[in-house]
Amino acid sequence: MYALSQYAFAVGLAALSLAMFLYVLHVLGARALTALSFANGGSMTLSPAFDVAGRYATILTVNAFVFITACLAFRWEASGHGPFSNMWEFSVAFAWGALALYLYFELRYRLRTLALLVLPIALGMLVYATTVPSDIQPLVPALQNNLLLTVHVAVAIIAYGAFALAFGAAVLFLIQRKDSIRWLPRSTVLDEMGYKAVMVGFPMMALVIILGALWADIAWGTYWSWDPKETASLVTWLIYGAYLHARVIRGWRGDRSAFLLVLGFGATLFTYFGNLFFGGLHSYA
Amino acid sequence: MGAAARREALTASAGARAKAAGRLWELDVVGRVWHFFTSVRLALVLILVMTAAALAGTLLDQAAPSVVADKQAYAQWLEEARGRYGVWTDVFNFLQLFNVFHTLWFKLLIGLLTTNIIICSLNRWKGVWATAFQNRIRMGDAFFDHSRYRAQLDAAMPMNVAAERVRRALSRSRYRVATEVEEESVAVYADRNRFSRFGTFLAHLSIVMILAGTVIGGMWGFKDSEFIVPEGTTREVGNGTNLSVGLEHFADEYWLEGPPKDFRSELVIYENGVEVKRGIVRVNSPLSYKGVRFHQAFFGQSAVINVKDEAGEVLYNDTLPLAWQTTEGGRPVGSFALPGRDLGVYVIGPESGVDDPLVPAGEMRLELYRQNSDRLVATENISQGKTKNVAGLDFTFEREKRFTGLQVVKDPGVNIIWAASTLMVVGLVAMFYFPHRRLWALCKRRPDGSTEVRLGMTAQRDMSLSGEFNSLRDRVGAALGIAPTTGAPGEGGS
Repeated sequence: MYALSQYAFAVGLAALSLAMFLYVLHVLGARALTALSFANGGSMTLSPAFDVAGRYATILTVNAFVFITACLAFRWEASGHGPFSNMWEFSVAFAWGALALYLYFELRYRLRTLALLVLPIALGMLVYATTVPSDIQPLVPALQNNLLLTVHVAVAIIAYGAFALAFGAAVLFLIQRKDSIRWLPRSTVLDEMGYKAVMVGFPMMALVIILGALWADIAWGTYWSWDPKETASLVTWLIYGAYLHARVIRGWRGDRSAFLLVLGFGATLFTYFGNLFFGGLHSYA
Repeated sequence: MGAAARREALTASAGARAKAAGRLWELDVVGRVWHFFTSVRLALVLILVMTAAALAGTLLDQAAPSVVADKQAYAQWLEEARGRYGVWTDVFNFLQLFNVFHTLWFKLLIGLLTTNIIICSLNRWKGVWATAFQNRIRMGDAFFDHSRYRAQLDAAMPMNVAAERVRRALSRSRYRVATEVEEESVAVYADRNRFSRFGTFLAHLSIVMILAGTVIGGMWGFKDSEFIVPEGTTREVGNGTNLSVGLEHFADEYWLEGPPKDFRSELVIYENGVEVKRGIVRVNSPLSYKGVRFHQAFFGQSAVINVKDEAGEVLYNDTLPLAWQTTEGGRPVGSFALPGRDLGVYVIGPESGVDDPLVPAGEMRLELYRQNSDRLVATENISQGKTKNVAGLDFTFEREKRFTGLQVVKDPGVNIIWAASTLMVVGLVAMFYFPHRRLWALCKRRPDGSTEVRLGMTAQRDMSLSGEFNSLRDRVGAALGIAPTTGAPGEGGS
């Protein structure tokens, strides 16, 4: 089972790398073509070749997602607990979450451009996973709570995935200000995409913190102790809370809101990697 | 958060009225304070400042509250911090950033945010109630002329048939539909997820509840993080309870690979000296009795020590937990005092996991100090089961035992916190996953027997509803036998 999991990981990584390449091709192609059609004063039609690149990119991403899912499932089977107990497992799961959310948004809103920013995050997580030990470690006593381990971290992954997506949309929004770049989606679309991702992620992040507090209360007898990872997750949640309020205030809409999303994802990564910098109660991961 | 948008609008209108008349200063004090706290901008500023404070609390080393309370200990702590933060140490210290979460200004910030949340919620209650429950069924032509999302469909069928089809199409889209029939027209109001509007109150007020829960826990609860019980002994819980806890046995197990597998304490709980409960406490399964919970926190070695004076009288006979660590070598150490003799006794155990040359396995090292002057009187190693005369007293190291370190907690606020957490998740999910949607339709009889159907949806500040509106328009259109209009914008204006 462990070996199967590792094979699935390798295939997933390869598929995702190729998908990334095709997405770049697709978007660059669309860009070149837009320039061309405007130069000719003609109407914009996407060249079949680049369209095909985009379609295959999507198919490959779906495949990568399936293989990463299989990788995690096999590992779950092999270890007997949710694949969320060390950095290797959590990185792969993070990539899984980013891919899941990305695919949901691509299939729902037909926007491939976001791949340029979200896929590198997923890819980065998978590559990072190859640099940390992948062997299955038995669970230390604090982690021996199968239900909470699974739900707490599974929800975290969805939240992180959503925030990665919001980050992608925000960066494109900041590049796209004033709708000056024709081959990118319109800024209103990007703004809304970021907001929709936060709509998915924000309640999930609240749930992550609450489940974490519940678990801490069971395991350690204190639901909140300002542990660095706890505090970092609260900071992350507060930033997205600020974003939700900022988005409806005059003067904060647009650039400043988008900037909060970039900051929020910085905080998300900080929360995720935090236990590598400082000790605290999460230092077993 | 369209609701938040409206909150701002309400705030703005209240202020605008006063401003328009050039008499903002005329609002009474209560009015002005109220107005100040209804602002979303204030909420945003407070959230951002709290975020920055919490970030500082994460990035900078935080001194424990017990250290801050002790002037001398805190001065020493600052000296250590100076090594890391250099000249910034004084700046951070001045801003109280080494103890962010227990400072007055942080509590003040929380107080302001709470006030902000409560006043905003009160301020918006009526408006939200009206939006959710008090919608007019019939809207005039002006509404359908100007609403953000609008469409006009021509149905080649009598008015009542068209109205019924509109009603059914909306029903099938899981909208709740109300109609109002008049001679020349049928008005339709449809909505879904109207309770979602109240999600914002649940989410915001749950924060206030959580804060209340922490206050209640702090006032009527207690927490002892260093409750040490050696094997074979019993210790009183104190803190106003009549409980005491005995440890029968402690065990630690390890995986073959090395990491710990299980820590467990077999505990007996006594109330007024009578056994009332017994059980095994593990890291993820505490023992609870009458609201007092016992959690496994840490463990270590203890030594059974006996001290007799020259006359053979017992001065000390107890199981001494070696719960601290020596600064050099990191050896487990415990201490007790012999006040009559002006002696402080330190018992130092062997460093774990290595062959300790100073304290070989099976031995304890005694260090005796004068209590007044901290002057070292004697140092001696003593083997298990042996008696040794040190400084004129007979010390016996009878045997080694384990001790368990428990976290003993009573927190009457914790259930409020879980209730609030549930409300928060329910509120957020309602707000963001099941947003409230409203649509109005007007079916008007035409002289030729056909019907004009107008649809309208009001704008929402936080997001475009064009997707939702277009799909409703197409469904209604299909029900009226009209092919979906491709490319025709459902959005009016721009």
